[in-house]
Amino acid sequence: MKKIKFYISALLLVAVGAMSLSSCSEDKLGETIFPDVDESLDPSSYTYQLDKFLMENYLKKYNLTFLYKMPDVSTNMNYNLVPATYENSIDLAVLCKHLWFDVYDKVAGEDFLKTYGPRIILLIGSPAYNPTSGTEIVGLAEGGIKISLFKVNAMRINDFNMMNEYYFKTMHHEFAHILHQTKTYPNQFNTISIGHYDSNNWQDRSEGQVASLGFVTTYASSEFREDFAETIANYIVKTDEQWEHILDLASRGWASGDEDDVTSQFFCYYYYPNNDVTQDLVYVSEYNVFIEEDEEGNIHKYWRNNVDSEGNRILVYDVEDKDGIDGRQAILDKVNIAREWLKTDWNVDLDALRDEVQTRQLNYDINQLRKLVTDIK
Amino acid sequence: MKKYFNIFLLALVALSSVTLVSCKNETDEIFDEDAITRLENARDDFADILTDKGGKWQMEYYANSNEPGYVYVMTFKEDGSVTIAGKNEWIGYVEGESLKVPTFGSQTSLWDVITDNGPVLSFNSFNKYFHLFADPEDIPSMSDEDTDETGYGHEGDYEFDLMKYSGDTLYITGKKYGIDMIMTRLDAGIDDHVYMDEVVAMADSFFNAKIPQVYMNLPNGTRWIIKNGATSLLKMFREGDDEISTAVTHNVIITHDGLSFMNPLTFDGYTVQHFIRQADGSLLCRNQNDGPITITADNLNNVFTIPTFTWKVDTTQVGGQIAAQFNTLKTELNAYGKRKLQSVQITYDATLNCYSLIFGCLYQKKTFYPTFYFKVEKVGEEQIKFNFTGEGNDASTVYADKCPAFHGLINAMNGVTYNLSTSSLLAPVDMKFIDSGTSANYFVCRL
Repeated sequence: MKKIKFYISALLLVAVGAMSLSSCSEDKLGETIFPDVDESLDPSSYTYQLDKFLMENYLKKYNLTFLYKMPDVSTNMNYNLVPATYENSIDLAVLCKHLWFDVYDKVAGEDFLKTYGPRIILLIGSPAYNPTSGTEIVGLAEGGIKISLFKVNAMRINDFNMMNEYYFKTMHHEFAHILHQTKTYPNQFNTISIGHYDSNNWQDRSEGQVASLGFVTTYASSEFREDFAETIANYIVKTDEQWEHILDLASRGWASGDEDDVTSQFFCYYYYPNNDVTQDLVYVSEYNVFIEEDEEGNIHKYWRNNVDSEGNRILVYDVEDKDGIDGRQAILDKVNIAREWLKTDWNVDLDALRDEVQTRQLNYDINQLRKLVTDIK
Repeated sequence: MKKYFNIFLLALVALSSVTLVSCKNETDEIFDEDAITRLENARDDFADILTDKGGKWQMEYYANSNEPGYVYVMTFKEDGSVTIAGKNEWIGYVEGESLKVPTFGSQTSLWDVITDNGPVLSFNSFNKYFHLFADPEDIPSMSDEDTDETGYGHEGDYEFDLMKYSGDTLYITGKKYGIDMIMTRLDAGIDDHVYMDEVVAMADSFFNAKIPQVYMNLPNGTRWIIKNGATSLLKMFREGDDEISTAVTHNVIITHDGLSFMNPLTFDGYTVQHFIRQADGSLLCRNQNDGPITITADNLNNVFTIPTFTWKVDTTQVGGQIAAQFNTLKTELNAYGKRKLQSVQITYDATLNCYSLIFGCLYQKKTFYPTFYFKVEKVGEEQIKFNFTGEGNDASTVYADKCPAFHGLINAMNGVTYNLSTSSLLAPVDMKFIDSGTSANYFVCRL
C-alpha cells in the first residue's frame, strides 16, 4: 500500500510539475527573423520604369501596392488565371491614375484616396470564369483594401466602349464597394427594387427587362450591393447618350416571347402579321423597327422593309409596360441616394466626379500617358 | 475498486505525458540559420542558377496528363526578363495558323523566384507562347467533338516549386496541378529557332504513321505494343493481351535527344521514363541496369511482310548483279517499242496468297503491269528469302518473252538470302536488301 501511494505521489508531482512548467514557460521575443527589405529599385531591371512610376505615383503617394507581376497565391486558387502582359500593365497603370486617382484628387481632395483608397491593386490577365453559371468576374473588391482588375490581356486600347465596360467602369464599381464596405449606404436604396433581385439567374436577364425594373445593368439586378456599385459606376462612366439610352430602356414595356423560359429574349415592340389585329401578335426587336415623324410631329413605327398583302407598311406597336414599376424613376432615385450619400458621408460631389471622368475618358491620349512611364530615366 | 484505481493511475500517467509534451520547447538547433534566412538564400541561389552560364534552359513542359509534353527554350536574364521560345501546334494557333501546324514563336516576358512555402519559379507576366497552356479560354477543337473548356483551358501551370538542382538539371513541380517536370541547362550559344526546328524534326523522324505499331522490348523477352506514336499519346499494352481491356494511354514529350514519359512507369517490373535516340533510330532507355530496354518497330522481315504494305523498289539504289539486270531491262524495254520502266513494286496478293513483283511499264501514255509471283521465306530475325513460283499474270508472259532481263532479274533474286537493314529501327519505312553471299548485290525498297 505504501508503495502504491508513493507512485501516486510521484506521478502527481510529475503531472503537477509538468503542468506548472508549461504554464510558467514564457519565451522572450527575439529580434525579427525577417530581413530588412531594400526598397530601392535597380535601374538595370527590365521593369525599372514601370516600377519607378508605381513607386512614385501609387506607393509613396497613396501607400498602395500596384501588383502587375501576378503572384498566383494572391488570387482565388479555385480559378484558372494568367498574369497580365507587361505592356497592358503599363497602359492600365497610367489609365488608373488618369481616370481614377487623379479624378478623386481633383474632386475630393488629395487626402481622400490616401485615406479611403485601396491599398492593393492587382492586375490579372484573364477573366475569372464561372463555367457552371456561364459568368465571368472582371473586378473584385476585398475587405475594403484590395481591388483586382481582371481581363487585362483582352484590352483593346482604341475600343472606347470595351475599355469603358471592362476597365473604367470596373475601377469605379470596385471603389464604390470599398466605400460602402467602409461606411454603409442608406438602407432606403435597398428598398427601391426589393423583390426584383435574382442572384442566380441575373445573367439570363436582358438589358431592357432589368432597366424596366429599375436596374442600370443585368448585374445590378443580382443583389443590393452590386446594384449600388453598378449605379454609381455606370452613372460616372456612361456618356450622356449611353445614360439616356439606359433611361429610355427603363421607360419602356418589355415582354418575352416565352415567359416560361428565363433565357428567352425580351422585346419592346410587336406587330400583327399582315396588319391584321385579329391575328396573334409577333414581337420584333428594336433593330428592325423604323421610326418616322410626320409633318404634324406624330411618331409612326414600322417593321423595317416589310409590307402587308396590299403593299402597306406593317405597323409596329409599343409593348405595354405591365410590371408596375417606373424603371426610369427607380434608377434616378437610386442615383439620388448615392449622390446624397457621397455628399454627406464622403463630401464627394458625384456629378463633379462624373463631369471630370467624362472629360478625361473622352479626351485622353494613351501615347502621352505612356510617356509617364517610358520617359522615366 | 482496484480496477478504478488502475484506471486512475493510467490517467495520471497519460496526463503527465501529455503535459510533458506540451512543455517541450523547440530548443534543438537543426539548422544554422532561421527559416526566413534559409528561404531567402534558397531563392537567391536558384535565381543565380537560372541566370548562370548564359541562363539558357530547356523546359520539358506538360500542361496535363492527357496531352503531349512540349519543349521550350528559356533564356533567363538578371534584369528579370526571360525569352521563351517554342515550336508547337498551339503556338501555330496563336499565330493564326492551322491547328496542326507546329509553328515557332519567341517572346520576352518576366520571371522571378518568389518565396512561398519554398522557392518558386514564377513566370509572372503573360507570355503568349507559354501561358497559353494556363489560359482559361476555350481550347480550339482538334476534332469534330467540340467541348467547351472555358474556365479551364489546358489547366497548365506557370508557377513551379523548385525542388532540386543536380548536374545542370532543375527538378520542378507545377505549383497548382503538381506535375513534375525538368529543366536542363543548354549552351548559351544555341540558337533558339534552330534548336526548336531540330526538336520538331526529331519528333517527325520518330514515329511514322505508316508503321501501325512499334514495340518496347524488355530484358525478360516480353514486348509491349505501342500504337499512336505519332500523336505522342502512346497507347500501350502487353503483346498477347487484349488491347481493348488492357491498353493504357501515356503522354510523352519528344526532346532534342529522345523521348520521355511524363512520369516513371513500370512495365513487368521494369521502370522506365527517359529514352535516348540511337544512331540506328531506335530508342534506348536511360539509366537501365537490368539490361537494355529499347523501343523499335517489329523485326524487319515481319515489317516487310505486313500484308497491307506496298514497297516501292528504288531503282536508283541497286547494286551488283541486280543493278546490271535493271540496266539491261531498261535497254530491252526501250528496244521493245520505246517502253519505259516507270515503277517496280512489291505487294501481297491476298487472293493468290503470295507476293507480287510488279513492273510498271509505260507505253504510249498507258501503263502495263507485268507481274511475277513469289513466296517469302523468313530465314532469321533480319533475313529474308524470295522464292519465285515461276508464275505471273498474262502481261508477264508477253513482256518476259520480249525482254529476257525480266527472267534475268528474277533469277538474280530467286533463292537468295538477303540481310535486311534500315535507316531507322523505329520507323523502317526504307529497307535495304543485301545479298548475304555477295554484298555487292543489293536493292532498296521504300514504303
